[in-house]
Amino acid sequence: MTGVNLESITKRYGAVQVVHSIDLEVQSQEFVVLVGPSGCGKSTTLRMIAGLEEISDGKLTIDDRVMNRTAPKDRDVAMVFQNYALYPHLNVSENIAFGLRIRRESKEAIASSVDEVAGILGLTDYLERRPADLSGGQRQRVAMGRAIVRRPKVFLFDEPLSNLDAKLRTQMRAEIKRLHKRLGVTSIYVTHDQVEAMTLADRIVVMNDGRIEQSGTPMELFVNPVNTFVAGFLGSPPMNQVQAVLAKGANGPQALVGGTVIDLPKLDALQNDEGRKLVLGIRPEYVTIATKGDKNQVPLEIDLVETLGSEALLHALLDGVPFVIKSETIGQISKLDAVTGFTIDPDLIRVFDGETGDALPGQDRAV
Amino acid sequence: MTMSPHNAPIVEPVPVEDPYAPPKGMDRVVDHLKREWQLYVMLLPLIIWLLLFLYKPMYGLQVAFKDYSIFKGVANSPWIGFEHFETLFGNDQFIRAIRNTVIISFWTLVIGFPVPILLALMFNEILNATYKKWSQTIVYLPHFISSVIIAGIVITAFSPSAGIVNTFLGWFGVEPIYFLTKAEWFRPIFVGTGIWQEAGFQSIVYLAAIAGVSPTLYESAVVDGASRWQMMWKITIPSIMTTIIIMLIIRIGNILEVSFEMIILLYQPATYETADVVNTFIYRQGLQAGQYDFAAAAGLFNAVIAFVLVISANALSRRYSRTSLW
Amino acid sequence: MTNMNLYSRNDKMFVYLNMFLVGVFTLSTLYPFIYIAALSFSSGFEARAGNVVLTPVDATIAAYKQVLSEPAFWRSYLNTFIYTIGGTLMSLAFIIPGAYALSRPQLYGRRFWNLMVAFTMWFNAGLIPFFLNMRDLGLLDSYFGIIIGFAVNGFNVILMRNFFEGVPSSFEEAARMDGANEFQVLWKVYMPLAKPAIATIALFCIVSRWNGFFWAMVLLQDQEKVPLQVYLRHTIAKLSDDQEFSVTLIDAPYSVETVTAAIIVCSIIPVLLVYPFLQKYFNKGIMLGGVKE
Repeated sequence: MTGVNLESITKRYGAVQVVHSIDLEVQSQEFVVLVGPSGCGKSTTLRMIAGLEEISDGKLTIDDRVMNRTAPKDRDVAMVFQNYALYPHLNVSENIAFGLRIRRESKEAIASSVDEVAGILGLTDYLERRPADLSGGQRQRVAMGRAIVRRPKVFLFDEPLSNLDAKLRTQMRAEIKRLHKRLGVTSIYVTHDQVEAMTLADRIVVMNDGRIEQSGTPMELFVNPVNTFVAGFLGSPPMNQVQAVLAKGANGPQALVGGTVIDLPKLDALQNDEGRKLVLGIRPEYVTIATKGDKNQVPLEIDLVETLGSEALLHALLDGVPFVIKSETIGQISKLDAVTGFTIDPDLIRVFDGETGDALPGQDRAV
Repeated sequence: MTMSPHNAPIVEPVPVEDPYAPPKGMDRVVDHLKREWQLYVMLLPLIIWLLLFLYKPMYGLQVAFKDYSIFKGVANSPWIGFEHFETLFGNDQFIRAIRNTVIISFWTLVIGFPVPILLALMFNEILNATYKKWSQTIVYLPHFISSVIIAGIVITAFSPSAGIVNTFLGWFGVEPIYFLTKAEWFRPIFVGTGIWQEAGFQSIVYLAAIAGVSPTLYESAVVDGASRWQMMWKITIPSIMTTIIIMLIIRIGNILEVSFEMIILLYQPATYETADVVNTFIYRQGLQAGQYDFAAAAGLFNAVIAFVLVISANALSRRYSRTSLW
Repeated sequence: MTNMNLYSRNDKMFVYLNMFLVGVFTLSTLYPFIYIAALSFSSGFEARAGNVVLTPVDATIAAYKQVLSEPAFWRSYLNTFIYTIGGTLMSLAFIIPGAYALSRPQLYGRRFWNLMVAFTMWFNAGLIPFFLNMRDLGLLDSYFGIIIGFAVNGFNVILMRNFFEGVPSSFEEAARMDGANEFQVLWKVYMPLAKPAIATIALFCIVSRWNGFFWAMVLLQDQEKVPLQVYLRHTIAKLSDDQEFSVTLIDAPYSVETVTAAIIVCSIIPVLLVYPFLQKYFNKGIMLGGVKE
């Protein structure tokens, strides 16, 4: 039904280009999350879709209609703002009804729409309250109610949860997900929080410096990041990135990290070019801790152990370079203090080119 | 774009008009106006008003260089160059008006400037909230009272027979003085009235600055054993120094702006000697005596100097505080 | 910090001395008003003799009777209401939409328009050209002339514009996505948000209109149209003249002094009525206007 299509979308402010020719196809009913560090152009992209920023170049279609020069109100999209932009002088019901009133819908239609939306969002008891008398989560819900009530073709979210505290954020995240399941409206969501991106998205688009680095399902991006930027952006704690040099071992390719040797997956790309610079991407979760006497361990110097409960973070040095391990604690707590190194299945190591940071070909795993 | 084969003749690509690109040049302006015309409808009345009531008179300033005739109008009166200015600088009354303006401003500044600061510091040291609120409420009040009423109060209070001032003096055996006809009394009365009317209100700016001082500074001073007096000198005053200096710069910039309304209400021919300032001179020569062109020349002279002073003050304060005042 | 028991002897001395000095200043501000009020309720003879100090002497309301029986007083009072209400509404009608437009980043020539407003705060053509202009526009001796001729002042425009600029732009964007046009954005979103700023500016306008005197005196010849302040001025001028010529009204229960005092009281009362609102907003207003071009 309703898809959003960006073709070579570019944004320039004078001579400064902030979004570089982005292509993105959002399927109908899909939940796409644009994620990236601040200043990466994700919000600008969203605002171009909303019509709040002019598109300098390229073509935007919503539901197969070109929207480049269409006024925001005629695009049939709704947006939830970071600060909610709730009108303080109107109560909840009036806030939700605002868009419908402006569009001069009948009183009965407005009342029934507001009631329905309030029901969906659990706001029925608060309809008479002013925004100032609501909690953060309730305000957030009103902001969503204002977007939902118009039954737009596309929802746009601009960092909607970043004003909430951690606990509420988790809760509202789940609610947004549920709402999307229920309404099935195409959604584009901007955030800098990778956890939000991972949990909400059907598809994540990682942006950096005005360009799309990678786009795919959360698991695709987690398992098969195309470059070190994506690898470092998703996952908490992020993937360890270790500078290494390619070497030839008896059983296949190996990496030299200073004096330490690590076995690598047997990729075609690693068969030659001895001495090539590499970056090894090792997820903290994929590592198995080793204690004195364990064979084939990569030696580590443990700096600090942070116990989080069911798991612990081990901050270590791998040949002088910081290296983090995430380990279960149950049954191993005594072991944690005696860690001398780690072991890892070579196939779980993601190998990147040391110069470009791009992942070497042929190592993508099924997710 | 696809690459053409190497042996194919090179064809200049025909620039295709991108139908989605934002419009350029004049089209862009037209497009903008189509979308945002409502903003200009909102702006237009304001701009027309400014042109009609403030900028048109600036155009009308040319009468200062003309032999203005009421029948010919501003535009058609003949030019006479700087004649009015020459007359002006040969006019003793005008020279006297300039001198009075500077002297009255000077005393207003020297005596009037520290009072609001002092008041703000004193208000700040009051601990009883009710007492503070009521005294503030009262000292702000005269600011909102018209100059006619203030002048009425002054005239009544200083009147020789009924006036309270002479009643007080009478208790000490002093003969009634007709203050408002005595040239030597005009300036003290005028400056004092100004302070009485405005000092309270002007203290608000400093109180706001004091309110911005972090309470932890005082708390740590208390822990260090400072007295209230020391805290005032070591914390409060240094903290509001920027505000004080900026206000001083503004006041110097506006030094020609003597509240001439009040002077018109208080002076009389007997006190012109010390009371007549440039604007009252202009008022008498222009609006009362009908010498529009001559009075406009005096006004232009005044406005240009005021403009230079204000602009310099603004530049100075911008440099000092990195914030401009408007 | 407010617990006096924690203070040293010297600090207590300091605090009490300070309270005393503030009290002196406050009373000296208040006293002239009390004096005028006392005068207005005293008999003409006692007032003339300079016997009124703090409270009415030979109390009478004769002066008020005299003032209130004067049709010109009522006429000027009515006129002041017309100028105040009409002028304030006129000011808001020019300032609010104009300041809103000036605050919008998408406005073409925004710097130029803003400079055009700011320049009027720095340079003023002066009394004579303004007067001649009003005459050329045919606005002498007219209610409309007074109401429109002083509708805008640059400071208020910039105050209002600063407030609008401080509103997060997402309010405008949200409203526009909801389908509102610029008029609706201003009317339904920004104006309700700006209520405190509008109240501040309205109060500034009310006070300056209520107190306005000079231009009303210069531009209005018709005594039927003059506001209270001009009427008051005429009465006070009479007082000065009377003093010069030593005219006394010994038989009358009122004197020029008591009548003047009574008019002053009558004209201050409305100011006192709006004063609580003024106090609430002028702090805010000063903060709003404080900074930036």
